[in-house]
Amino acid sequence: MKKIIYSIVSVFFLAISACEKLDVPPLNVVQDKDIFTNEAGITAYMARIYSRLPIEDFKYSPTINFNAFVIGSFSGITGEALSRDMPNTVETFNYWSDAYSLIRECNYFMETLPSYATNFNTTQVNTWLGEARFIRAATYFALVKRYGGVPLVDKVLTKPNQTISELNASIEELKIPRSSEEKVYDMIGADLDYAYTNLPETNKPGKVNRYAAAAFKSRAMLFAGTIAKYNVINLTSGADRLCGIPSSKTVAYYKASYDAAALLNGKYNLYTRNWVAGDRSAIYQNFVNVFLDASSQENIFVRQYKYPDAVHGYDALSVPKQLEGPGGNYSSETNPTLEFVEMFEGLPKNPDGTIQTLDAGGKYILYNNTMDLFANAEPRLRATVILPGDMFKGQSIEIRRGIYTGSAAGGISPLLPAGSTANYPTTNIVTSAAVLQTPYTLPNGTKMNPAGASGVFTNLAANGPGGSITGFSVRKYLVPDKPTAEVVTNRSEQSWIELRYAEVLLNAAEAGFELNAAGQGGSYLSTALTNLNLIRARAGATPAVSLTSIDTIRRERRKELAFEHKVYWDLRRWRILDQEQNSSLYRVLMPFYSSDAGKYFFDARTDERNVRFTFDTRWYYQQIPTGAIAKSPNLVQNPGF
Amino acid sequence: MKNTFYYIAISVTLLSAGACSKMDNYDAPDQTLRGRVIDAGTGKNMQGEVSGENGTGTRIELKELSWSDNPTPLYLATMQDGTYNNTKIFAGRYKISADGAFVPLVQTGATPVDKSQTVDIKGGVTTVDFTVEPFLRVEWMGEPVLNTNGTVSVQVKITRGTADPAYQLNVTDINLYINNYPYVGNNANSFDARYSNRVAYSGTTGNNLLGQTIVITTIGGALPAKRDWYVRIGTRTTFPNLGRPFNYNEVKKISIP
Repeated sequence: MKKIIYSIVSVFFLAISACEKLDVPPLNVVQDKDIFTNEAGITAYMARIYSRLPIEDFKYSPTINFNAFVIGSFSGITGEALSRDMPNTVETFNYWSDAYSLIRECNYFMETLPSYATNFNTTQVNTWLGEARFIRAATYFALVKRYGGVPLVDKVLTKPNQTISELNASIEELKIPRSSEEKVYDMIGADLDYAYTNLPETNKPGKVNRYAAAAFKSRAMLFAGTIAKYNVINLTSGADRLCGIPSSKTVAYYKASYDAAALLNGKYNLYTRNWVAGDRSAIYQNFVNVFLDASSQENIFVRQYKYPDAVHGYDALSVPKQLEGPGGNYSSETNPTLEFVEMFEGLPKNPDGTIQTLDAGGKYILYNNTMDLFANAEPRLRATVILPGDMFKGQSIEIRRGIYTGSAAGGISPLLPAGSTANYPTTNIVTSAAVLQTPYTLPNGTKMNPAGASGVFTNLAANGPGGSITGFSVRKYLVPDKPTAEVVTNRSEQSWIELRYAEVLLNAAEAGFELNAAGQGGSYLSTALTNLNLIRARAGATPAVSLTSIDTIRRERRKELAFEHKVYWDLRRWRILDQEQNSSLYRVLMPFYSSDAGKYFFDARTDERNVRFTFDTRWYYQQIPTGAIAKSPNLVQNPGF
Repeated sequence: MKNTFYYIAISVTLLSAGACSKMDNYDAPDQTLRGRVIDAGTGKNMQGEVSGENGTGTRIELKELSWSDNPTPLYLATMQDGTYNNTKIFAGRYKISADGAFVPLVQTGATPVDKSQTVDIKGGVTTVDFTVEPFLRVEWMGEPVLNTNGTVSVQVKITRGTADPAYQLNVTDINLYINNYPYVGNNANSFDARYSNRVAYSGTTGNNLLGQTIVITTIGGALPAKRDWYVRIGTRTTFPNLGRPFNYNEVKKISIP
């Protein structure tokens, strides 16, 4: 009996102790108190939002996503290059909900951190808040440059511990309509001002400091100013202009860009560690190193990669065919167009600016080596593009379209009429469809492959043998000492330079020119000229004496920032991409070897694949994803969709 | 083994029988919507692209209001003579608009304009016409002429189709399109690139050609003889809608003996 009583009593005790704590937070979910009370937690939170930052780096493809396994080349839709895996397209992956997830994470961080601020010193808290603001601003910039005005969410919309039914009751409040494009840019500007004030002078590599915020502001405000000046598309809902900015705001935005750029004066410099005035090869080597020297004083904000945890495949995708690593047909995805190469100085040119390949008698000019044509080319061109026959990784990069076996007596006439899009004739030309080829016996008895080891092959299909399709290959960002065995996908680890000082100088130059054109004073113009010539001197180009056209600055920008995934957005904001790509064929430069003359000649022609590019004017304001409108019918679709 | 086969046979039969039990009981689209896009200045049909598909010419926008105030629009192509006809439309209430190389029927901004039409599509055939102001109007000033060197010359006059200065933008292209078929226009395969004379203008240089009779001749030497050719002129301005569609005149035939 006693035993029974004891056991009953013990059951009571058990029950009492059970009452004590039932409502405990789930132990398998990380709580705010785990994250926001220690530096390691904050670092983890930051690492995530930095990694989701929408920057078009090595791992961006307009047809796949951010942070993707890339095939093709983003430069393949801008006219900078042609890529066998990049068609005429606009971004297809609907960057929308990912952006708002990231914005929410930033807002959540900004709202939660202050209540845990006692765990840290003021500098730490301000730095982190500044970083979160920067990331929010960069995300809104990624949205506004695609869609125009978007819904502005500057706080966490849900409250802690809200139930589903409570959320449903207030669902109409969550269907936030689009703000005007102007308001989005103003919020970006305000966020970046906050970041500039709160961020420190220096930060860890891969994280933003105050100057990154200022540099980014100069970029964003330049966009806004350009749209105010050059955009004519209008979509208004109520009082808000969703697409377009009133032209009355032009000067204010250009000034904001110019002033933000000025904050970096004296803090950063163009990279000139190996630069020697007048020494072409030193200038060339210096420009190659701009993108590879991690200690460059030009880098303002970089995204770091490290094998094997965070990797990309830029080398595997971009090396010339003959340096292709093991593991598949990954190489030569970025082949610069002749239009791009012709922007540089130091090449023989016709009066209309195209490259000169024919002499006065209409016959091909003959060269002993393919590099002879480029002997006087601007050093920056060699550092950006691998020219046919140039040295890379200790090899001469062999790019040859074929061997011309006809007579060279009296000169060789053009293989095709000017402007023809036809195939090359088959008589007197030997070519190859792929790398494995039958050597041709030259008149002197030696043997030579019809096509070069890096192209150009006649099989130009996307799944074909690869190789150059334009006569050029990209060099910028390629690591020159990477062993070929490591030139495989997911093995590259060079940093992506998202912001470098050259861009800031060019931002100020462009804003300065536009401000002078708007009657704001000649000092803006002289800054523009100074900045332009700083860029040109470092590149080994001839300095400009005066500035009369915005095209001079735009062209300099397209040369300096080529293959850095910036030019596409520039062409969009200048609103000239629809004129440049209007059922357009890009041009290529095909080196041939004349077996009779024992020399090379070049044929400039249109892309042999006949891939035409057209930029639809509707793409200046991309389609709002229809799924987003279905969820929130207050979103007004952009014109034409 | 045999049993397994029977089980499989029976379960497949049962599964497919179950699949039969739910029929789509919504009526098939049986309404016809047709109409014209009319040039307000001349009262004639406004000529368009060979097929006004998505983003290359005049298209009709349908928003069905039965389900949502902000529906995903449905677009109909128009024909090159400025008419459209679709015989498979669901009955319902629609907001219908058109978009092409003319002053937009729906404009937002300081002085909003909404010339779209809200129509109940029911009872068989519904006709909806739109009267529009083309950006540019192309008129024939005579029949196409076969020159002695085998090329063809045409005379046209291009004028502004709208008095609204906001839409009197710079002329960027004046193109002569020629083709072996009566379907002629800027679409990739609807003109013969060897003979079509396409000229782009920058700045205001194209505007200087407005209002006067201009003569345009085919390029590429003599046209192949003993066949019919179809020719018309397309022109456009910088106005950035829908990939900048062209304004055209009517197609004319010229037979080369």
